[in-house]
Amino acid sequence: MTARQEHPAAAQRNILLWVGLAIVATSLLLAVFGEVLSPYSPVMPTGNISTPPSAQHWFGTDATGLDIFSRVISAPRTDVTIALAAAGLSLVAGSLIGLVAGFYRGSLSELIMRVSDVIQSFPVFILAMILVALSGRSTFNLVLALAFLYTPIFIRLTRAEVLSQRSRTYVQSARAIGASELRISFRHVLPNSLAPALIQASVVIGWGILLTAGLSFIGAGVRPPTPEWGLMISKGANSIILGEWWPSVFPGLAISLTVFGFAAVGNALERAYR
Amino acid sequence: MSAPLLDVRDLVVTFPTRRSEVTVVDRLSFSLESGEIAGIVGESGAGKSTAVLAMLGLVRHGGRIAGGEVLFDGRDLLSLPREELRHVRGSQIAMITQNPRQSLHPMLKIGRQISTAYRSHNQATRPEGMRKAVSMLEMVGINDAERRVTAFPHELSGGMAQRTLIAMALSSGPRLLVADEPTSGLDVTIQAQVLDEMWDTVQETGSAVLIVTQDLGIIANYCDRVLVVEKGRNIEDAPTRKFFRAPEQDYSRRILSLQRQEKLPEPEESHGSEQPLISVQGLGKEYILEGGEVLTAVSGADFEIYRGRTLGVVGESGSGKTTVGMTLLRLTEPTTGGVLVDAEPIGEIPLSAFRNYRSRLQVVFQDPFDALNPRWSVHRLLREPLDLHTKLTAADKRERIGEIMDMIGLPRTLGAVTTRQLSAGQQQRVSIGRALITDPDFVVLDEPTSALPPAARAEIITLLAELQRKLGIAYLYISHDLTTVEYLCHDVAVMYLSQIVEHGTRSQVFEDPQHPYSRALLASHLFQDPDQRRIDREIRETLTGEIPSPVDLPTGCYLASRCPEAVPECRERPQTLETLPDGRKIRCWRITEGDLVW
Repeated sequence: MTARQEHPAAAQRNILLWVGLAIVATSLLLAVFGEVLSPYSPVMPTGNISTPPSAQHWFGTDATGLDIFSRVISAPRTDVTIALAAAGLSLVAGSLIGLVAGFYRGSLSELIMRVSDVIQSFPVFILAMILVALSGRSTFNLVLALAFLYTPIFIRLTRAEVLSQRSRTYVQSARAIGASELRISFRHVLPNSLAPALIQASVVIGWGILLTAGLSFIGAGVRPPTPEWGLMISKGANSIILGEWWPSVFPGLAISLTVFGFAAVGNALERAYR
Repeated sequence: MSAPLLDVRDLVVTFPTRRSEVTVVDRLSFSLESGEIAGIVGESGAGKSTAVLAMLGLVRHGGRIAGGEVLFDGRDLLSLPREELRHVRGSQIAMITQNPRQSLHPMLKIGRQISTAYRSHNQATRPEGMRKAVSMLEMVGINDAERRVTAFPHELSGGMAQRTLIAMALSSGPRLLVADEPTSGLDVTIQAQVLDEMWDTVQETGSAVLIVTQDLGIIANYCDRVLVVEKGRNIEDAPTRKFFRAPEQDYSRRILSLQRQEKLPEPEESHGSEQPLISVQGLGKEYILEGGEVLTAVSGADFEIYRGRTLGVVGESGSGKTTVGMTLLRLTEPTTGGVLVDAEPIGEIPLSAFRNYRSRLQVVFQDPFDALNPRWSVHRLLREPLDLHTKLTAADKRERIGEIMDMIGLPRTLGAVTTRQLSAGQQQRVSIGRALITDPDFVVLDEPTSALPPAARAEIITLLAELQRKLGIAYLYISHDLTTVEYLCHDVAVMYLSQIVEHGTRSQVFEDPQHPYSRALLASHLFQDPDQRRIDREIRETLTGEIPSPVDLPTGCYLASRCPEAVPECRERPQTLETLPDGRKIRCWRITEGDLVW
């Protein structure tokens, strides 16, 4: 009777969550310690040019002699940090604006939602490119551009939850004991409305990594020789035709794996919340 | 005596959880004779519904029937092959569930649904099935059945949908009808109609009925026998009369505690010179709907509430009871008229300044779980009013919270838990504590017991009465449950379709109601007294039809379309609330002008 009986689908989801968590934890650790752990300097050529993966250079070296493995594990400092900062910023901004838009219905609320519509109607990548081009190519601007793009997602999620929470009786009850509208919205409604946005944050971090890499790939992101996955793929792309697959494939795998990890965690959280 | 129709022996249903298995139905045994009506009562979660489902060989997802036998007509249903069981289930045992609308297929006409159910267990052609559907609908009291068979479920009211389900269930002439909370969510006049029809029908057909309910009124009025279920066990099995007169088990005594107590003493009449605490004058509330139609929620309400007394507001859903309560607290602003508190018109205080005033006027809502912030601890919930209205030190606040927890009968150790971990009754106590912690003069109680299981219901009402005696608070008690109203209230106002139709002392309204609507409401109410069963009465007074929409109200009396005493003049003449010689107020010209005498 005490045997743990679990639904096979639930068990599968659990595995997914643990794999996701492992990937997320690794990427966070590498963001902090990646450069310390790397066997070679990620920005100093080793002298061995375009060598395939070997015991000396696990992932090989690129055309300028940089060690790919060192660069792949150093890149999270750029990619993950930018994505984290952007997701964090848009989460804070989005949930506050979403609270206002949901709690105080009126022309302001309408305006906020229509502006969100406009932002979301542009293709994300193109808009990000334009924003970075206009504001200048720096890490800080990249974070701002990404945050700007992702804020409407959090506005929408928070607003929807606020709309359902504010019709609950506890809001009426707080009003009845004399709480001000400001207190009701921040103390009562906001904490009860954050869950969907928090869950989405994990997925958005994954998207942020993808977008950062994408922008760097086309030259609109961080500047070389910063270790960054998109930049590495772009640099290695020229030599694929020569049969040198390793400069592009390893950073590509790193991106896929990391995005998958964050998405898996977000997915598992969402199921648990429902 | 022959073998019983249904004989349940040691039924066990378990649900596996992460760590172990929860036994929801635990060795439940009982039997049922043909023609007998038995009621199953118990707390929510006691396993009542699970038990009756299991008797039909059904278990909710994840659970399993772990043991026992269900002998129906001598055959064990649990060991029957599936196909045979399915046949027995439709033709000989029928089931009615709660939420009638959800049990009907939304895209099929009801006639076809009844006909399909009938034809799947009987050899019949389509036209025969349709004719059966019409006759079944007629039998359960649906007017104009010929036309109604072509209706879709969404076109039916809740009462009609429930009757349709009963018609469907009875179409194959089952020998056993299982009804799980068949009338929860229906208004009292409709509930009485539906149950009367069901009772009459099974009297004709001789079926046995098993009713699962939390409403002791249904038990007292319609059941021959009571089964009390606690924690999946059948702890008491007694004839109804014996159960109400001398319940054996502790739990049974708890749920019957209100019936067994003395009512509040009738208050002295002499509040005449005293100034009323609350005075409501010409209160009206209208909502403008999309499309410009006007929905009248409350019109022309006048009444007073005195210190230490309770005014009960009764009526069916949609009668405007709750709106009255909310306007007294300024949680909604009235369209016309106003409210005086200690002769001060509160409508003139700016809303921002009124916030400080709110410590005097408090409220307890219907659903305690929804009314308490789910993330907050009990302690924090109780502290919020003190933070807003007092300048006490942290230590003084803690002291006051401790006092109030003692007063509402909540162990002080529960201060740190969130409301999710409390029972519904405990949650409601927290709500009451939150309302009382600032020492209010007046509390609106908006159906405070209707979301609670029977034992907690009785306890909360007793607590409210005790707190009133101790603290001298005035209550406005909004409820459709006349049993609790009779226990708690000094004065009673009956509302129908936005208007107060009768307003008098408790004994005036309960013992000698004058307005036709009050009479019907009281007659429809299922009092928890098996010696005054509704079905034994010569004339079962009730109203026909359903409450009309509160949009575009008629010029004359609002009740005229349903009133058995209506004369043509009623439809023309606007009704006003007049005072009778005995002090009560009535909104019916035939009564006040002496045209109609009971």
